[in-house]
Amino acid sequence: MAEIYIICVEDEPQVLDVIIRDLSALEEVFPIEVAHSADEARVLIREIREDGNHIGLALCDHVMPGDKGVDLMIEMQQDAFTEKTRKVLLTGQAGLEETIEAINNARLNRYIAKPWTPEQLVKVAVDELTTYVIEQEKDLLQYMGVLDQARLQEAIRNKGYI
Amino acid sequence: MQFKKSTLTQHLSKKITGFVLGLTGFCLPLVFTFSGLSFAGHLALGIFLMAAVFWMFETIPIYSTSMLVIFLQVLLLSQQGLMFSGASLPVTQPLQTGENQWLIPPEALDENTVYIAEGEKKSRSLEVKVLEVSDMARVETSQLSSDTQIVSEARHRLVRYEPLGYADFFGTLASPIIILFLGGFILARASVKYNLDKNLTNVLLKPFGQKPMLIVLGLMMVTAVLSAFMSNTATTAMMMTVAIPIALQVSKEDKFRIVLALCIPIAANIGGMATPIGTPPNAIVIANLQQQGIHIAFGSWVALMLPLAVGLLLLAWFTMRILYPPTAKRFTMSLKSSFEKGPRAVILYVVFGLTVLLWFTEAQHGVPSSMVAFLPIMALTVTSVLKQDDIRALPWEVLWLVAGGISLGLSMENTGLAMWLVSSINWEMLPQLMLLLVFGVVALMLSNFLSNTVTATLIVPLAISMGTSGIGGEGFNLVITSLVVGSACNMAMLLPISTPPNAIAMSTGYIKTIDMVKVGIVIGLVGIVCALVLSMLYWPIIL
Repeated sequence: MAEIYIICVEDEPQVLDVIIRDLSALEEVFPIEVAHSADEARVLIREIREDGNHIGLALCDHVMPGDKGVDLMIEMQQDAFTEKTRKVLLTGQAGLEETIEAINNARLNRYIAKPWTPEQLVKVAVDELTTYVIEQEKDLLQYMGVLDQARLQEAIRNKGYI
Repeated sequence: MQFKKSTLTQHLSKKITGFVLGLTGFCLPLVFTFSGLSFAGHLALGIFLMAAVFWMFETIPIYSTSMLVIFLQVLLLSQQGLMFSGASLPVTQPLQTGENQWLIPPEALDENTVYIAEGEKKSRSLEVKVLEVSDMARVETSQLSSDTQIVSEARHRLVRYEPLGYADFFGTLASPIIILFLGGFILARASVKYNLDKNLTNVLLKPFGQKPMLIVLGLMMVTAVLSAFMSNTATTAMMMTVAIPIALQVSKEDKFRIVLALCIPIAANIGGMATPIGTPPNAIVIANLQQQGIHIAFGSWVALMLPLAVGLLLLAWFTMRILYPPTAKRFTMSLKSSFEKGPRAVILYVVFGLTVLLWFTEAQHGVPSSMVAFLPIMALTVTSVLKQDDIRALPWEVLWLVAGGISLGLSMENTGLAMWLVSSINWEMLPQLMLLLVFGVVALMLSNFLSNTVTATLIVPLAISMGTSGIGGEGFNLVITSLVVGSACNMAMLLPISTPPNAIAMSTGYIKTIDMVKVGIVIGLVGIVCALVLSMLYWPIIL
């Protein structure tokens, strides 16, 4: 069965550790992979695609050496493989213009400003992944344990079957 | 990853096993000849075995097995199909040798039966006294005359089988019971679209207050009422959204969470019994009885099944109360109902109310429930309450599944297969009650592992043929036996795989399989006993 990945792109290793720790509750169902730059992220995305898996959520810092986070997200939005991936910008330093660009061209789903609380991050991740699985997956039952139960049940009610 | 791979291989090997077994089952009756079973019965047995295996192993989706069944029936068993389109009965005339003594070809004799041709494809059997068999057979009977056409080959494929037209098999998809279900689906879809189900839930739950076990009773009653008209799955999912906020008010270890997650699927499964449209196994029961010319009105079905459903609900409630007594004193629930008041929503309310009213008053006006079911189909689409997207979103595959089941039942009766299957066991030792018990227990056990509809499809025709063949003995009641089988199918809720509502409850993570098994065993066993008691004391009064 194909797995749904969470990818985190962030150049600072300490911040990356915090993100992974905050999201550890989700890792059992959604494996987490990290990249330290946009280039690393591209390699990672290719690997995930070649293994036949999907990317449900991309958490991305903006200011990084090399290509910026917003550029990576726009690229992901234009690629059919990552078009449906829920995209979250996780940053303290994106200016207004870049943010607008991210919203318009990368169809950014969420913007989390630094510093965040673990609860905030988990809630955003759960919300976005719930949306992703409702749109993309057939069997929703396997996600009840970690995602938003009420919304998943509502989706089943609307479909009328599981 | 390693774990996932091994489950994948398991899954694959299960599919391959099912595929091989299914094909073997199909070929078996083509290779071996079973005495007492007509040629068409052999073909039907092949289809039956393959369908049963495919349904059990889910080699292909269960609705597509139904489609395969209908395809094979049209191809092999219909008047216009491969086997029967060109066929006609070979005939000959008997030669008189003395008073009531006739010479016939020995092939025309099937033990002590000859077949009299009544048309190209139609014959009836005649018992004769066989005097001697050599080059010709000499028989004694007073029923022949020298111009009677008798069938010269008793083993001919048209003997003891009058093929149905292919349209009869296709027609199962538009049979009255399917239309009744379609009406139910349409009402359910519209209710979900305009949130009628949620608002009704909030209104109905209010009187049950805030005490834990009363809330549970309320949840169960409302779930049962809704699932009697909507799909059990959709009802369970909707009611879970009501139960989750309550569950979040107690700690993770509190056993009350178990009760909350468990009470809803149980009530949904039980509620499905209460009306003809509650759940597909009911359709199989009604359709099979219809083929025998027995019509069960909507209201009569409710009158028959409601006591059982209410009894089982209370039983489940008491069982859970004893197993998992609540610790918290009271809960808060936000039960705000906001009924939509747009013109389309109002049309829905009126049509819904009118349809249900007409369903329950069939005895007064005499319009069959399937005809009434076309009222919402017409009214809700004419008024655009439901649009193209909504029609497309109906669970059509359920209708196909049921149609395939009805179609298979048609051939099981028509080819004599069902009768042959039940007559291969010696039932005479068993009293009536034991017969019901055997059928009920078999259905209950199968249904815990298979789809309830599939179980009903496989068992109900057998139960019916017990009655029509006379094997069941004096006073064997077709309706009562079918009802026992039907309700047994719906009482199976032992495991997460038993029904979709169970799977939903399991996925919440609030319960373990053992919790489901504990309550499921009580419901299954006591339920069968209750059904038997009703079948002896109460159902005969209503019928």
